Amino acid sequence: MSASASTEALPTRWVPRVGLLPAIGLFLVLLVLVWLGVNLVKEPSAFAATFLDGLTLGLVYGLVALGYSLVYGILELINFAHGDVFMLGSAISFGVATNWFSLHDTNSLGKLIPALIATLAMAMIVCACLNATIEFVAYRPLRSAPRLAPLITAIGMSFFLQNVGLRFIGSAPVSVPNILSHKAVFSIGGHEYRWYQLIVGVSTLPVLFGLVYLVQQTRQGKAMRATAQDQDAAAMMGINVNRTISFTFFIAGALAGVAGLLYAIYTTNIAYDQGFTLGLIAFTAAVLGGIGNLPGAVLGAVLIGLIQQFNEGLSWHAPGSDWTQSIVFSILILILVFRPEGLLGERTPEGG
Amino acid sequence: MTYPSGTEGGFDARALWRQQRDRWHHLPERTRTTIVLVVQVLIVLLLLPWWWGFAVLLAIFFALYWIPEDLAVPLGTRKLRVRAFVTPLVALALAILYPYVRDHIDSLPGVGPWPQMDTAVIMTVYAMMAVGLNIVVGYAGLLDLGYVAFYAVGAYTAAWFASVQFAKQNIHFGSVGVGATVPGIHISVWILLILAGIVTAFIGVVIGLPTLRLRGDYLAIVTLGFGEILPQVARNGDNLGGFNLTNGPNGITPIDPPGFGKTLHDATGGALPDNYLALADRNKAYFYTGVVLLAITVFASLRLRDSRLGRAWIAIREDEIAAAAMGIPLMRTKTWAYASGAFFGGVAGAFFASFKSSTFPNDFSFNISAFILSMVILGGMGNVWGVIVGGAVLAYLNQEGLANIGAKLGIADVPLYASGIFGAILVIMMLLRPAGLLPSARVRAELEEGVHDQPLYDASG
Amino acid sequence: MSRRLFLGALAAIAVILALVAAGCGGSKKSSSTTTGGGGGGGGGGNASALPASSCSPIYYEGSGKPEFIFASDLPLQGSGRTQTVQMTEAIKFILKQHNFKAGDHTVGYQSCDDATAQAGKWASEKCSANANAYANNKSVIGVIGTFNSGCAEIEIPILNRAPDGPIGMISPANTYVGLTHAGPGTAAGEPDKYYPTGKRNYIRIVAADDYQGAADATLAKQLGLKKVYILNDKEAYGQGVATDFKNSVSKLGLTVAGFSAWNGKAASYEGIATKIKQTGADGVFLGGLICENGGKLVKDLRAGLGANVKLLAPDGFTPISAVVQGAGQAAEDMTVSVAGQPNENLGATGKKFVKDFGATQSSGQVDPYSSYAAQAAEVLLTAIENSDGTRAGVSDQLFKTDVSDGILGAFKINAEGDTNANPVTIYSIKGGKQTTLKVITPPTSLVKAA
Repeated sequence: MSASASTEALPTRWVPRVGLLPAIGLFLVLLVLVWLGVNLVKEPSAFAATFLDGLTLGLVYGLVALGYSLVYGILELINFAHGDVFMLGSAISFGVATNWFSLHDTNSLGKLIPALIATLAMAMIVCACLNATIEFVAYRPLRSAPRLAPLITAIGMSFFLQNVGLRFIGSAPVSVPNILSHKAVFSIGGHEYRWYQLIVGVSTLPVLFGLVYLVQQTRQGKAMRATAQDQDAAAMMGINVNRTISFTFFIAGALAGVAGLLYAIYTTNIAYDQGFTLGLIAFTAAVLGGIGNLPGAVLGAVLIGLIQQFNEGLSWHAPGSDWTQSIVFSILILILVFRPEGLLGERTPEGG
Repeated sequence: MTYPSGTEGGFDARALWRQQRDRWHHLPERTRTTIVLVVQVLIVLLLLPWWWGFAVLLAIFFALYWIPEDLAVPLGTRKLRVRAFVTPLVALALAILYPYVRDHIDSLPGVGPWPQMDTAVIMTVYAMMAVGLNIVVGYAGLLDLGYVAFYAVGAYTAAWFASVQFAKQNIHFGSVGVGATVPGIHISVWILLILAGIVTAFIGVVIGLPTLRLRGDYLAIVTLGFGEILPQVARNGDNLGGFNLTNGPNGITPIDPPGFGKTLHDATGGALPDNYLALADRNKAYFYTGVVLLAITVFASLRLRDSRLGRAWIAIREDEIAAAAMGIPLMRTKTWAYASGAFFGGVAGAFFASFKSSTFPNDFSFNISAFILSMVILGGMGNVWGVIVGGAVLAYLNQEGLANIGAKLGIADVPLYASGIFGAILVIMMLLRPAGLLPSARVRAELEEGVHDQPLYDASG
Repeated sequence: MSRRLFLGALAAIAVILALVAAGCGGSKKSSSTTTGGGGGGGGGGNASALPASSCSPIYYEGSGKPEFIFASDLPLQGSGRTQTVQMTEAIKFILKQHNFKAGDHTVGYQSCDDATAQAGKWASEKCSANANAYANNKSVIGVIGTFNSGCAEIEIPILNRAPDGPIGMISPANTYVGLTHAGPGTAAGEPDKYYPTGKRNYIRIVAADDYQGAADATLAKQLGLKKVYILNDKEAYGQGVATDFKNSVSKLGLTVAGFSAWNGKAASYEGIATKIKQTGADGVFLGGLICENGGKLVKDLRAGLGANVKLLAPDGFTPISAVVQGAGQAAEDMTVSVAGQPNENLGATGKKFVKDFGATQSSGQVDPYSSYAAQAAEVLLTAIENSDGTRAGVSDQLFKTDVSDGILGAFKINAEGDTNANPVTIYSIKGGKQTTLKVITPPTSLVKAA
């Protein structure tokens, strides 16, 4: 009762107050929705096609974003090198698929499926080991140094790996032959959605579910979450912190391998600097969804993919491809200003 | 001096390192002194027949090294430490002599010829940017991955007000070498250097205000975002609602040269050049200008560091919570760090643009931000002298050093992998010598003892 | 003191290591003869070399030391490397044919690189550094270059103001209009702002973008296109040629469905394809460079637009082998325009060059730009021969160029430095190989509108 008395003494507290920042944020979101609505009405088929393209692209981004989110969740480190591990994943997949198996969409399923699985396994193992090695060499000795230190080694590693890619791929983008069928699944108003897009997009979902299961349900996942919360306490509970962190990097590397293969299949082009560009976008996605939150990373990535394709594909008052990069990074900045914990993230004292 | 517990396990190069160091420290001081002296003399003597220029330079630095740290001369009521003012004076003297001796000294050992004059100019520019970034990263501990944005703003400010870009205007003020009928805005480059600094500092504040509340690595990402957005704005800026602001991908060329004008030229008996471009040896003039600007930057940077503000930056870097508890306004202090760092970035950018006589959106990629950051890390965060060395060395390597080394080793591809080499340098430095080549004592202590950099937000933010 | 002693010891070790490394690198006094700025006597066969950091050693096999040197200024890194390296080979080939002589003067050649590894393409600071090096080295009598128009914007004014100058520049590849003359697509103050002394010193033997834009527009009309969408890569060259194309097609009465950019770093261009499809365009012009992820762009456009929409590309999409490599099947049927005659239409001199020079190349193929580089070398050597042996003299002679039977056929250079030979060859990609579709010489009225 006394509590209610005190609230009555301060009646203004109960008036719903909307701060200036959330109001602006809400307004911006509304504007985007109106813009999408008008475009949907004006060009429904283009809207649907762009939506599907954006969804697929976003899911591919999501695979890379998961790797960032996973590592950030446990070490609070932006692993800049992740994008470049992903790029090497693409390069390895390309090398294995074309040089060892000479994969092509004309291959029979009997050959295609085992060869793809072998390629995938190869890319995953190499990237996983690479990523764990990077952690061992470049991040572990700096575990208790100020935050800037591992961030800087991460940037250095990123440049280094990029040049490794440059050595193998060359400075010009390389065309990957069509590995999955480019025939249309269905067509909306003349815009075709193709098998390879469908397969690549759908493939990301089991990876996400598997990952969420791993983190939420398994013993190892529990160890990861405990380490993320408090390394010292986790160590006291008998968790081998170093091994857990290594494991996390291993998994993140394997994810980069999967992403590398799917990206090579999806874009049919690989370049030595794809990791940096895509890494930035993926990191933005991870922040957008709430960094450290796995479904959030995929959600953020899908949103970024959609925004990108809507911006470039829609006609009514779209800023167009001239501004894509600026829009993506403006979103990053706006999110960090308005909602630093991201869409699905929890409000932590550190995030906000 | 113990290392923190985090070094258990893993690839521990530092353990081996420490072991060797301890061994050395167990030798008696007299032995150590003798060893060092003998080694130094031997090096100089060995080098003398082949690379006498380099040998002399080394001998000068070795001589400086032997000035006792606590030697001081009384100056009025204060005592002036000899080493603290002899070192910069010697460095300045060497820089002033450089254009005259360059053609007469032998090559650099293992690398090739000494830096050409235009490379030397670029070295001063990058050293200036590195000193500017050092204020943000080294003093205040705010990681800025988009420093190139400040360089861009400075460069475009110079380009707007000293070229024919705005051909509808016809404003001339103190510019040299430009006919009065030439359209566009032409303002003296000297004024523009300051203007560019102010504009850039303002932009720094605008970028900083919404973002400085964020903690370290988020801030890094936001600055990176700005570093990606600004070049695209420059690229698309040839048609902003029909207005041609930046001339888009064509860039703005040419940009007016600096110069002191005829009056000053005659008044000083020709000591100050009328127009840099009219000189037969213009790179020398640009070089001296660069050195003077760098000297001003260094002086300002050192004064800032020792000021009340500078001490506040260092306090924030070391422990935000304690700093806030002692009454340091976090937001305002951080914003000042941003603005000061941006100021020097802008000045350097404007000078560089005038030197290159061009600005293109392509000049401002993330690589440049990372490159300037590498200079700060390599040289030693927080230590201005280290940062200058880092800036000069990396700029030299990028401009001609790597190509020379590659040519010498017979590998044409060395420059191709420049960014990879710089990346490896970053990693190795952080692992072996995290405080840089010439570290500031404070930063080293922080790195070795570990700090509590738990983030905290300004009460008012 | 102990810490400092320790540091001193470290420094000593580092220096010793550096010395050992230097010894291994085989460095001796001989390597230090290079003088970049300031040095170098003007005549008497005593040319001093341009700095080794961006230029190759002097190519000279005559007696003694050459009297003069000329440089080529091309981006030798990044994806265009095979093309530009072959251009330098072609220049060497011509110089050797002339026995390293231009009239009475002995001439050496250095190939300079205006690209940095970081950029993977030309870099502004490298261009300005190179140009300053040419200006300061009195042995440099002329420059062949640049490849990229943006780089030329920086170098022309520096060489224009060079001491004893201006230094003549002859470009085998710059196509940006504003370098030599004003037009609807050029910026304020162009071209005068590039010539601060008021004297011209820059010629090009390749037709400017307004010709190429007009030729591609003519092609679009001849192909029966009604509505074209124009993309550009937001680089100086790409945006320039795309603008010229836009102006020309409008003049020819075609509809411009849209004008937008593609980002060379993007992962996907499906959205752009969807947008173009929505506009109902039956042709797309790709104003830009193949190295800006052009292969992926062609793939996505082909996939999104179907086989019936024509893809037209300017000479930024050369070498055509790179297009085929980057886009694979999707490149089938797209057209690439290249200023000048195709190799098979060249006159006797040109054919002989292609045959003889091709024999020296391991690929056996001669890129069209190699013919341009060779022709540029011929023109420059002739200018040196006819000159009084000064920079200004060579520069003046360049504008008197009148070739009757050159590698590129017959052409003249006008007072603005442009060539009067303006055919544009349209190549079409068939079965992964370039085939000559037609040669278009656009009418002057159309060019003026571009």
